Amino acid sequence: MPTWFNAQLVTSALTIIVMVHVILVTCAYLVYFERKISAYIQDRIGPNRVGFDFGLPALAFLKGCIGLGQSLADGIKFVLKEDYTPARVDKVLFTLAPAIIIVPALIGFIIIPWGGTWSGVLHLPFMEKPIVDAGEVVVVGANINVGVVYLLAVAALGVYGVTLGGWASNNKFSFLGGLRATAQMISYEIPMGLSILAVLLLVGSLGAMSIAQYQFEHGWLVFSQPLAFVLFYICSLAESNRAPFDNAEAEQELVGGYHTEYSAMRFAMFFLAEYAHLVTGTAFLVLLFLGAWEPLPFVTIWGDEATGILGVLAKAAIFMGKVVLLVCFGMVIRWTIPRLRYDQVMMMAWSALIPLSLLVVVATSVMVYLGKTGMGWMLAANGACLVLALLAQPFMPRALSNRRVPLYGSRFSPVAGEAVNTAPTDAMALEDRPVQGTAALR
Amino acid sequence: MTTALAATDLGSYLPIFLIVMMAITFAAINIGASLLLGPRRPGETKGGTYESGMNPVGTARKRFNVRFYLIAMTFLVFDVEIIFLFPWAATFSNLEPMGENAAVWLARIGFFLFTTVVMYVYGVRKGVFKFD
Repeated sequence: MPTWFNAQLVTSALTIIVMVHVILVTCAYLVYFERKISAYIQDRIGPNRVGFDFGLPALAFLKGCIGLGQSLADGIKFVLKEDYTPARVDKVLFTLAPAIIIVPALIGFIIIPWGGTWSGVLHLPFMEKPIVDAGEVVVVGANINVGVVYLLAVAALGVYGVTLGGWASNNKFSFLGGLRATAQMISYEIPMGLSILAVLLLVGSLGAMSIAQYQFEHGWLVFSQPLAFVLFYICSLAESNRAPFDNAEAEQELVGGYHTEYSAMRFAMFFLAEYAHLVTGTAFLVLLFLGAWEPLPFVTIWGDEATGILGVLAKAAIFMGKVVLLVCFGMVIRWTIPRLRYDQVMMMAWSALIPLSLLVVVATSVMVYLGKTGMGWMLAANGACLVLALLAQPFMPRALSNRRVPLYGSRFSPVAGEAVNTAPTDAMALEDRPVQGTAALR
Repeated sequence: MTTALAATDLGSYLPIFLIVMMAITFAAINIGASLLLGPRRPGETKGGTYESGMNPVGTARKRFNVRFYLIAMTFLVFDVEIIFLFPWAATFSNLEPMGENAAVWLARIGFFLFTTVVMYVYGVRKGVFKFD
């Protein structure tokens, strides 16, 4: 048997096959979560009708199910609807673009060590000998020592799908959306790479397992690199084109952005790729800053010790639970904060996040040179960076737009010396006001 | 450190081919299934470009703002710099702190970063990052 065919390869293949399905189902249900969360934020109920009864009387007890069948119904509808190709599009690129965006989104997650180290022993209690005894393996898609670079490189490929989708549609809205998305994604890639660099400087390795190990020994990196954590989280929101950075598909300005002309499954692929990117990026965030599969900070339960199959499943469940929690937090952000204007998004990347992340990298490398990489020292360095950034803030390039022009009669920017009336002047507005104490109880 | 960490042989890259094949198959099956199973009802107006109900004027193959080109060029500079920084970051913390080697490495990378800062300041002065 060749040397490359070993227990690690089989474990990797099994992990990949299981995790692809887990991630795709998670993506489908994240759509459902998103609709539920947005509904609760907007004081609605959200999807609550579709169950798993398929209209059969025999399965009537599966009706309702708080709308959990919605994702399945959506999937079936996506396949059965008309996949329309408008007449003027570039047909080859138009068909290829969804494939080009979904492939990088799906292949990035394989360096994430979901289950930590497995002892390689599968032993059922009623059996005398273990079924499998293969020696220690890592439950990861690909146990490579340049994992971080691989994930960054693959995630960056997603830009091509967006660009091609916008270009091939031959639609001005799509084209503008694609341009905006490209510029935004490449801009936020720089602070993202730099904040990862700040972590790698402490860890001293590019492997995913080494990052996890460092955190079991020295505490979670979110405590020693809080600035890098915040920078990375903002960038991962912007990279996946989600609100408050979703200018590429701003409905009020660009209809649907780069997927305006798409329908049926090809549209769903753009949608799925966005969620897959989100899950991969959040899993990477959990791996880098939030202690991978450890449930509590400062307490190492499993660490990188090899565990049995139940321990591996528990670790993977905790990892996935953290990812889903963080994604849901991102959804709350999405439905709470209004969209930034496009020039504000770009200004934020180039004149705030990039200088700040450069500063964090320089500070970290100086601390590494001094040999003071403990949590207290790193916190002090981060605080110094923050103070320095606040002091430098008045000298950074500023947007020329967004100034208030004084106007006669305006309540918000009156001309100097003008009397201002802040009470509502409109008769209708006055009439609409509730009168104190007379509102009827309902 | 467990023994499972050592993964420097090329064999550990094999699963990447597996996942790439799976992703391509997934994409192909999805696009094919929806093309085969869905109805086909083409029409003249339906095939037109959707621009919020307006009749489209010209095509989308037009000139666009040069600013996007400038952003892309600046991005290239930064991205290449970051790629060079990754191997440095992976090695730097393994050097002896305050040692002579570490001082030289820090000074070299400091100069490298300084060139980028010069580029950034030049860009700011030229108005590359001004969006209006």
